[in-house]
Amino acid sequence: MKARMTSKLLIVLRKELRETLREKRTLALLALFTLLYPLMIGFMMHQLIDKSTKSEREGIELAVIGGAKAPTLMAQLGQKNITVKDMPPMEEEAIGELLRTKKVVAVLRLPDDFTENYYAMRPARLEVWFDSATETNAQRREVTDVLDAYGANIASARLLAHGVSPAALTPIQVQRYDTGTNASRSAMLIGSVIGILFFPAFMLSMSAAVDSTAGERERRSLEVLMAQPAHTWELVGGKWLAASVLAIVGVTFELVLAHVILKWLPLEEIGMSWSLGWGELALVCLVTVPLSLLAGALYVALAMNAKTFKEAQTVLSFVMIAPLVPGLVVSMLDLKTAQWMYLVPMLSNQTLVKELSKGGDIGALPFLLTFLCSAIPALVVVAIASWRMKSERYVLAV
Amino acid sequence: MIEVHDVRKKFGAVQALGGVSFTARDGQITALLGPNGAGKTTLLRTLVGLLKRDQGSISIDGIDPEKDPMAVRRNIGFLTDQFGLYERLSTREYLSYFGELNGMDRTLLAKRIDEVSELLGMEDILERRSKGFSQGQRIKVALARTLLHRPRHLLLDEPSRGLDVMSTRALRTALSALRGDGCCVIMATHVMQEVTALCEDVIVIAGGHTVAQGSPEELCRRTGITDLEDAFVSLVGTEEGIA
Repeated sequence: MKARMTSKLLIVLRKELRETLREKRTLALLALFTLLYPLMIGFMMHQLIDKSTKSEREGIELAVIGGAKAPTLMAQLGQKNITVKDMPPMEEEAIGELLRTKKVVAVLRLPDDFTENYYAMRPARLEVWFDSATETNAQRREVTDVLDAYGANIASARLLAHGVSPAALTPIQVQRYDTGTNASRSAMLIGSVIGILFFPAFMLSMSAAVDSTAGERERRSLEVLMAQPAHTWELVGGKWLAASVLAIVGVTFELVLAHVILKWLPLEEIGMSWSLGWGELALVCLVTVPLSLLAGALYVALAMNAKTFKEAQTVLSFVMIAPLVPGLVVSMLDLKTAQWMYLVPMLSNQTLVKELSKGGDIGALPFLLTFLCSAIPALVVVAIASWRMKSERYVLAV
Repeated sequence: MIEVHDVRKKFGAVQALGGVSFTARDGQITALLGPNGAGKTTLLRTLVGLLKRDQGSISIDGIDPEKDPMAVRRNIGFLTDQFGLYERLSTREYLSYFGELNGMDRTLLAKRIDEVSELLGMEDILERRSKGFSQGQRIKVALARTLLHRPRHLLLDEPSRGLDVMSTRALRTALSALRGDGCCVIMATHVMQEVTALCEDVIVIAGGHTVAQGSPEELCRRTGITDLEDAFVSLVGTEEGIA
């Protein structure tokens, strides 16, 4: 008897899958989304790595007009790995044009009266032209730092010549320490990458879930189905699994693809790490299965109460976004990984991968909690949906 | 055999069934006549155990659909008043789905699908997907589904709607064959010709009550009216009939 009941669930599952797989356009769209995300991550990361390694290699380029007037300054710029490009005298417009090409960080212009003022010990004017709209603030600061140091050096020498200690000029000394390492910056980056990694679990199951419940209701075939010698849990269960299978396959595929891409990228160049092995990835895929099941269960339970396909889609669009919220909140509040995070579906998967990507042993408990925190609610939701379908109120509304 | 005794059902303040009693015997086609809103759909839904009655008793071959709906449904072919097909499945796939749900194995299914499609003259649409089927083709597919698992009882809600002359004749032949096999057929309909041509027994319900049961001749005799349609109107009562 038990075996026969289970097989009815399989009959429903098989039929729903067959119908879903015949919806070619929807499938193509879902496949596109699934593939697009890892590829997008790969492309963006690649660009980022490229950019960051390039600026290290090439240093800073600075255009200088009239550089011959201050040879010491030019030498000091050179010591700081700033490449000086000598330019002929230029007008204001030409300088603006040059800055817009983004080939140089800034333009340094020494006016004609610079040497005269310098020897007369009057403040010798230097002009720094820059475009604040470009994102080269850090590099520009290096240039102005060199200029400040150059000025301070001259002042010291002059004071010394008058028998005054240069220390009188520096009552305070500011020493800057930047603890923002590449690693901590990249932790945020990888956090946002992981944030959406599990999203397909919720995206891929939607159309099948809606079609097999609200769609079936709209097409008026549900009453006939409910009058068959099959229990409601078999009907709901079959539809639930059919919707979830799509998500399980999609998410697993996407995780594998993302893994391959992240492994291939030279992430260490920007201080990031992705130290998951294939074994750990397999475990992650396994504990993500219940997340897809939960998504399918929620969708089926909600969509079966909608009268039309459209109504169901509207309701579910909100549900689709909800799982992203905990992850967003955690990253906004910058919370440290804690045990409770493994109890929130989706967030637990994100946290798990985040911790694994750093490397190191995290034990079996996070895996187990991640699995159960989706699996248990999924079963509860399916039970509620089955009970709901059996109710008279539901029969009357069909 | 379907025995119904004093079945009542209330939805909130609305008394959908206020006391329905009848017996539909095996080897007979029983017509269920009643104006729109008389409670026919509620009655049929109660018979398959989709709805629970508030009062009364139902016995389908001795089984109460409320106690063992699965056993009852295995033995019932139910054609609902509204039904949809699955547009992405072919007729054969549609029939296989419901056959499997009724516990039929593959070889039996293939045999029965051939039999019912021949019976209803629908070989031409067997391998086609149901998108774009005409109303007649749709109802044929649905009828085939109800007959597929050789149920002992058939509950048919207006089975001849949308059928052309040829198909209506095919349907009549099919129903007569089922009667010959000893099936118990209940058929809700609005076509009096069909009732006189096919049915041994007529149940008239109005306003959730059984108003009369008997053969068409008996009903005519009881009302003293020779035409069944007029007899029906007189039994239902004009006011209720329009409502």
